[in-house]
Amino acid sequence: MNAHKMSNAWALVARREILVKLTNKAFIIGTVITVVLIGGFLGWTAYTEERTSTYDLVTLSEEAEMGQAVAAAAPVLDDSVIVEARTVPDDDTARAAVADGEADGYLHRSGAGWVLTTETDEGELLRVVQQAVRAAVIDQQARDLGTTAAELEAGSVVSPEFLVGDAEQAGLAQGVGFVMALLFFMAALMYGMQIANSVVEEKQSRIVEIIATSIPVRHLLAGKVIGNTVMAILQIVLYVGVGLIGLSFTPYSSFLPALGAPVAWFLVFFAAGFIALACLWAVAGSLASRVEDLQSTSAPLTYLVMGVYFAGFLLSGTAKVIASFIPPLSAVMMPIRILEGDVPLWQPILALVLMLLFAAVTIVIGERLYRRSLLQSGGRVSLKQAWSTTE
Amino acid sequence: MLEVRELTRTFGDLRAVDGVTFDVRPGMMTGFVGGNGAGKTTTMRMIMGVLGITSGEVRWDGRPITMVDRRRFGYMPEERGLYPKQPVLDQLIYLGQLGGMTAASARAAAMEHLERFGLADRAKEHVEKLSLGNQQRVQITAAVMRQPICLILDEPFSGLDPLAVDSMADLLRQHTSRGVPVLFSSHQLDLVDRLCDRLVILNKGRVVGAGTREELESTGTVRHRLTVNGDAGWVRDLPGIHVVDVEGPTALLEIIQPGAEQQLLRTAVSRGELREFTPIRPTLSEIYREVTQ
Repeated sequence: MNAHKMSNAWALVARREILVKLTNKAFIIGTVITVVLIGGFLGWTAYTEERTSTYDLVTLSEEAEMGQAVAAAAPVLDDSVIVEARTVPDDDTARAAVADGEADGYLHRSGAGWVLTTETDEGELLRVVQQAVRAAVIDQQARDLGTTAAELEAGSVVSPEFLVGDAEQAGLAQGVGFVMALLFFMAALMYGMQIANSVVEEKQSRIVEIIATSIPVRHLLAGKVIGNTVMAILQIVLYVGVGLIGLSFTPYSSFLPALGAPVAWFLVFFAAGFIALACLWAVAGSLASRVEDLQSTSAPLTYLVMGVYFAGFLLSGTAKVIASFIPPLSAVMMPIRILEGDVPLWQPILALVLMLLFAAVTIVIGERLYRRSLLQSGGRVSLKQAWSTTE
Repeated sequence: MLEVRELTRTFGDLRAVDGVTFDVRPGMMTGFVGGNGAGKTTTMRMIMGVLGITSGEVRWDGRPITMVDRRRFGYMPEERGLYPKQPVLDQLIYLGQLGGMTAASARAAAMEHLERFGLADRAKEHVEKLSLGNQQRVQITAAVMRQPICLILDEPFSGLDPLAVDSMADLLRQHTSRGVPVLFSSHQLDLVDRLCDRLVILNKGRVVGAGTREELESTGTVRHRLTVNGDAGWVRDLPGIHVVDVEGPTALLEIIQPGAEQQLLRTAVSRGELREFTPIRPTLSEIYREVTQ
C-alpha cells in the first residue's frame, strides 16, 4: 500500500522461494544424499589409501634369501604392502599352504627364472615380487660382473618435467576441475529447471495475475532469481565444504592449501554465472504456457549448460585460454586454469568483469522478455513475439 | 466508481473486446454476463492491467487508473490461481504481504475468513488437498482479505453448491455495503438475476445491454397480457398494437405506439369485458436472448 512496502517486494518473493525449497522433502532428501555420497566417497578413498595389505610369502629354505629380499623391499616399493616371508620344508608343503590359504604366495625358482604360485590372481603381491626379484637378481648379476646395479642403470632414468605446474598439481587440477564442471552443470540444470517450472506453474495457475496486480513483475523475477541463487550457492558451499573437510582426512590433504584460491574463485564465478543463466531460465518458463511446453522452450539453455560442462574437460591449449574469458564458459574454465597454476591475477578479474557484464545483459533482456511473455496465456510464446509485443 | 470507456483489445485480426463502455458503481454488485468468448475475461484482465489495452481506457475516481489503484483492488482470475503445493494459510499471508499488509494483519484477516468458511482447521494443509469448492473459498479470501477498494471477480460462483453460493454472496454484499464496487462475471443467468444490482451484457466483444434490470426491461419490448370475457380476437383491429398471439379470451400483446394501450383499455371497458391487463416481466434469459440476437 505504500512505496516502502512495494520496494522490497522482491525480498518477500525471494523469501518464499527459499522457504518452499527448505520445506520441500525432495530437496532436503536430495541434499542429504549428496552430502552422504561425497562424504562416503572421500571416506572410502581415505580408507583404501591408508589400508595396508599384509601378504604371507613362503619359500623353500634354500631360497630364503630371496624371500627376505622381497620382504625388505616391499614397503619401499608400495607403502600399502607388507610382505612377511617364511620358509617351508618342501615343494608339496608350500603348494598345500597356498591352496589352504595359510600362505598368499609361494616363490620358487623354475628353470632360468622365478615363479610366484598363488591361489588366484594377486596383482598387488605379484607387482611387488616382480620388482623386488628383478632388483635383487640384477644386483647379484652386477656384482658377478664386478660392477653395481646403480652403475648399470646410470643415465637410463626418464624423469617427468612440466612446463606448467607439476605432476601432482596437473592431476589435481584435472580431478578438481572435473568436479567443479560437474557441480556447475548439476546446479545450473537442476535449479534452472526448477526456476522455469515455478514460473510456468504460476503462469498456468494464473496466480501470476494476482501477483502482477500487487507488485511489479520485475520484483517477481528478481525475487525468484535471488532466492534460487542464494539456495544454489548455499548448497554448493555445503557440498564443497563437506568435500574439503573430507579431503583433509585422505592422503591428499597436503593439496588443500593449493585448493583454497581456486575454490574461492569458483564460487565467485559460479554466483555470477548462475545469476546470468537464472534470468534466462525464468524467460524459458515465461515463454511456455503449460509445463508440457517447457521441454521445447528450455532446450537451448539445456544445450548451453551442457556445452559449459563438456568444455570443462574437452578444451585445451589456446581454446581453453580463450574459453576462460567467454561467459558463461568462464564460470568453469577460469577456475580450472587457476587450479593449473600460473594465471596472472588480471585474467580472472577481466573474466569476472566480462561475466558480470554478461549477467547484466541477460538480466535486462530477460526482464523484458519475462515481463512481456509472462501474462500471455494460450500456447507457446515465441521469442520474437515476446520481444516485440505491446505491454 | 470504476469506469470502462471504449475499451478495445485485438488479437491479430480478432477484435475480442470492441469499444466496451460501462460503469461499476460504488456499493453495487454488477453482473457481467455473456456467452463463451464474449470477451468478459479479456475485459476484466484489461481492467486489472494484466493484459495490454489496444485502445480505450479504464478510469478510477474520475481519472485514468494507475497500478497503485489496482494494487488495492481485489482480483480473482478465471483459473483458480493458487500454489497447489503450499499450505493454505502460508500463501494467503504471502499474497497479503505482497498486497502491502503486514504478516500479522494478513494472518489475522486470513484466519478470520477461513473461520467464516469453516476452513480454519485446514489452514496448514496444502491447497491441492482441498476440494475445488474449498479452493475457491481460499481464492476469494485472497481477493477480499485486504479490504479492497474494488472487487473484480471472474466466475466466482462457478462450481459452488447453493449454500456456498449464498455464503459467497453474503461476503460480497458485506463489501458492497461498505461502498465497494463489485464486478463479477457469470454465465449462470438465474444467479446473476438474483444477486446483482446492475447488469452488463456482453456479446461478441460488444456491450449489448447495461443498467439495472428495470432499465434493461424498458429497453427491450415489454409484452402485456389481456384477458377478457369471450373471444379477444377484436384486439387485432386496434391501431398501434402488435398482437403476438390470441387464444380464446387471452391475448398476448406488444404495445408499439405509446398510448395505444389507453385506447385498448377503453375499448375493453366499453365492451364490458376487461378481466386482466398486466405487463409480463421478462426473465433475464429472455432479455439476454433478445439483446444477444
